[in-house]
Amino acid sequence: MHNVWLIARREYIERIRTRGFLITTLIIPLIMCGFIYGSAFVYSNSESAAHIAVVGSDTQLVLDLQAELQHRQQARHAQPRSTRQTSIAVDAIDAEPQNEQATRTLLDRELDSGVLDGVLWITPAVATAKDQPARPTFTFTPRSSEQDSLRGTLAAVLGTVLMREQLAHRGIAAADANTILQPVEIVAVRAPHRQDRESAEVSVTLLFFLMYMVISLYGMNVARSIIEEKTSRIFEVMLATIRPQEMMAGKILGVGSVGLTQVGIWLSAALLLSASTIAANLGGQGIHIALTLAQIVYFFVYFILGYAFYSSIAAALGAMTNSEHEIQQLNLFLVLPLFVCFITLKSVLTYPDSSMARVLALIPPFTPLLMYLRVSLGHPSRWEIFASIALTSACIYAIVWVTSRIYRVGVLMYGKRPTLPELLRWLKYS
Amino acid sequence: MSIVQLHHIRKVYDTKVAVEDLSFTIEPGTMFGLLGPNGSGKTSSIRMMIGITVPDSGSVSLFDRPFTRSALSRVGYLPEERGLYKKMNVLDQLIFLGQLHGLSASVASRRASLWCERLDIVEAIPKKTEDLSKGMQQKIQFIAALLHDPDLIVMDEPFSGLDPVNSFLLMSTLVDLCSIGKAVLFSTHRMDQVEKFCNSIALIHRGQLVLSGSMRQIKSNYPRNRVLIHYEGDDSFLRHPCIEHYKRYNGTVEIRLLPSATLDDDTQSLLAQAVAHARVTRFEVMEPTLEEIFIEKVQQALPIDNDHELSMAQLDQPNAGGLDA
Repeated sequence: MHNVWLIARREYIERIRTRGFLITTLIIPLIMCGFIYGSAFVYSNSESAAHIAVVGSDTQLVLDLQAELQHRQQARHAQPRSTRQTSIAVDAIDAEPQNEQATRTLLDRELDSGVLDGVLWITPAVATAKDQPARPTFTFTPRSSEQDSLRGTLAAVLGTVLMREQLAHRGIAAADANTILQPVEIVAVRAPHRQDRESAEVSVTLLFFLMYMVISLYGMNVARSIIEEKTSRIFEVMLATIRPQEMMAGKILGVGSVGLTQVGIWLSAALLLSASTIAANLGGQGIHIALTLAQIVYFFVYFILGYAFYSSIAAALGAMTNSEHEIQQLNLFLVLPLFVCFITLKSVLTYPDSSMARVLALIPPFTPLLMYLRVSLGHPSRWEIFASIALTSACIYAIVWVTSRIYRVGVLMYGKRPTLPELLRWLKYS
Repeated sequence: MSIVQLHHIRKVYDTKVAVEDLSFTIEPGTMFGLLGPNGSGKTSSIRMMIGITVPDSGSVSLFDRPFTRSALSRVGYLPEERGLYKKMNVLDQLIFLGQLHGLSASVASRRASLWCERLDIVEAIPKKTEDLSKGMQQKIQFIAALLHDPDLIVMDEPFSGLDPVNSFLLMSTLVDLCSIGKAVLFSTHRMDQVEKFCNSIALIHRGQLVLSGSMRQIKSNYPRNRVLIHYEGDDSFLRHPCIEHYKRYNGTVEIRLLPSATLDDDTQSLLAQAVAHARVTRFEVMEPTLEEIFIEKVQQALPIDNDHELSMAQLDQPNAGGLDA
């Protein structure tokens, strides 16, 4: 045990000290933050910049529309934690029947060039009876489907404007009309001890990718580290002192602890970030990192299982090959199961308790990633969690057993890559 | 008490027999030479001796006990294929390897400094291993094998690639260790090194023991029928009747006497004749060299294999093949 500790410690210290570790530890969260905040920034900006033209002969209606939009915007500014901001700038254009066609072509061109995000045509109603005031007809042409959401906002605003007009028409004072038309605000309050589903999904997906990345990255590191030892021939000195099993265990532990350290740094940074005021200010727009303690604990449990599983396979690959180039060819064994998890991510995320998800999550190569999703988002029964951990552990034990035999013979072997029958024979050597 | 005892060990890799029925014993304070051409099974034997591989049959005893891994803390090993962690600092590396052998970090560090001083590479201590020259790396590895003060020192081709000054430095270090009772085993295919330093040898060829025992004992089995002469001038003395065969190099001649030749009379008359015609700077009557004994033994052991003519030049050729047996 002491030897395992020595090997693991050396591996850990030597890896932590490298510039590469520092760079990946810093760069990856920076890229992630950049991505998250960048997309939040773009998101909020694109919404606020909507610019539309309103064409109508009823000048009063257009002016009222402008005023109402401005009024709403101000009300929203006073209240920073609102859900979605859409500020709409309105150009009023008088519709003169004689050059309607010219106006249309001009506006179409502006829509095409992106100067305008949408055009609203107001066609005055033809009054039928005095008491029954007819509404004008509205046509909205958005620049692209992205701006389609503007239609809803415009409809709401126009509704208010028309209602205000009707109220004024019926002799109700403007101040009273304002009171009547006060918009209703519903404040969303989360039920206690329940995360809101959307942000949970986002956070869990984020962690899924983190696990996926770290497992494949550090699994490869184990393989590479074994190859490096083969090339530098140091292992022969090592094997003259310690058992190959100890050496392999130390290596996997050491490299794994580096991965855990890195994930730990990232996770605490992420949690700090989500707790900080910057995140609060961004509110619902940014990606909300919301994790419960249980989710974090399960993340580490399944991370460790997944890492142990894949890195022992990687260790076997490393022991069988002599160069990084050869590892690339065998890399498939490592990447394929991870890839399956990747493909099923979407469906497990949406239906974490479907029978497909339940079956897949119990198959050891997929357990770490998929069971983690299920535990976080679905409701697996207790025996399923227990069975997944037990099955994967048993599988890891078997792999380590086989791997350490391959390792024992494989590290002393140099020359060509072993064939399958040779590999089977290696297993028989003690 | 014996340090190493191999008892009829055998190892087969797939179809290739690497070691066949090998037995020998190493006593404390012995400088033991394990000899043989490349691919003869030296490394395979060493690996079985220190538990890197397990013999298919036969047994290994270290320090008078059947092999257990705990005995390895008393063994220092320098493999033929040198290897160190390239990116590691020299001192850290030595401490790490010392710790694996059960030393504490502080003891390992102190001994590492002492050894570096002794082998004249103090300037290497703070450096990264990959920045050192090959010879320096070899010295570091040499130190790594000795740091934990082992009772058995196993060195596989310890001097390959070293300049004469450093070879001599390492050899005299080994001789010193031997004189304080450590057992040193080193393998080599260079007979001249063995002849000078070893007091006990084992000769193996194709995995089989061809010859073993103490140097003096082996040599005493052979008559002193070799004469070495360094000379300048006329070589007509080479027609002397007691000469069976000679090989002449630049100013040197190696002579093999007829079996019937008598040590005193014939060699003296040969000397007299040589001195009469040439200027002699060296004249030595001796046993056959280890090289000659080896070739003779191998040819005896394998009489049928005539097309496989043995010469040391050929033995020095690296063997091709995946397994360095």
